[in-house]
Amino acid sequence: MIVPLETILLLSAVLFGIGAFGFLARRNIILMFVSAEIMLNAVNLSLVGFSRHLDDPRGQVLALFVIAVAAAEAAVGLGLVIAVNRNKPGVRIGDLTELRW
Amino acid sequence: MAAASVVSALLAVTRKNPVHSMLWVLALFVHVAGMFLLLDAEFLAAVQVIVYAGAILIFYLFVVMLIDLPDEDARPRFGQHWPFAALVGLSFAGLGWLALSDMRLFDGGLAAAPSPAAANGPPLGSLEDLGMQLFGPFALPFEMASLVLLAAIVGAIVLARRRGAGA
Repeated sequence: MIVPLETILLLSAVLFGIGAFGFLARRNIILMFVSAEIMLNAVNLSLVGFSRHLDDPRGQVLALFVIAVAAAEAAVGLGLVIAVNRNKPGVRIGDLTELRW
Repeated sequence: MAAASVVSALLAVTRKNPVHSMLWVLALFVHVAGMFLLLDAEFLAAVQVIVYAGAILIFYLFVVMLIDLPDEDARPRFGQHWPFAALVGLSFAGLGWLALSDMRLFDGGLAAAPSPAAANGPPLGSLEDLGMQLFGPFALPFEMASLVLLAAIVGAIVLARRRGAGA
């Protein structure tokens, strides 16, 4: 089944826009991280689309690395959230105006 | 499938309850994995389901449930600047669309390139293909990725450890 590249790129752009909106608009730090994951997924989608289109496996390898880095980012980010939460309950970034406690 | 993923992404960023939001993100990731399957990336689809939907999402869910938020529903879910943020998101999507139509205008940008090694060799997206790439030209980035993951594991443990509990 052939999926046109335009569709994939359009979907990727829309997903990236949604992710950017979520990242900027949500005030919950965990959901901001999730929005960043949505953006990473959008980029992955376009990478795989290009890989299919150009018949080149390098795009998929790159997408694999993106997934690995996303996993690392999630681990470190959520570790930070837990560490901050221990000192200062709440996940709203408005409350996190100081990094010193 | 594209429409379903867009809808679940939209729901994910607009739901009030963080757990519902997570479940919508899960739906989004599964749909993206389906798109990967359609794009002949079977291994990536499997990795997407296992790593993203399986590991990362569960991790996020654990943290959401660990940090219990009784007052989250009462709080405004967006900041005051959300129209601005919506504008930024829309302009990103619009920018992507513009670049796309520009590419189509110039033609050849989206025309299928002559496949370099399509005739012989393993099919695109197969495990064998990706493995040959990973341990061939991408060996150094592969090792770097393992280093990044190791650093992330150590960093997460150090950050989340209770102060004074360890050494």
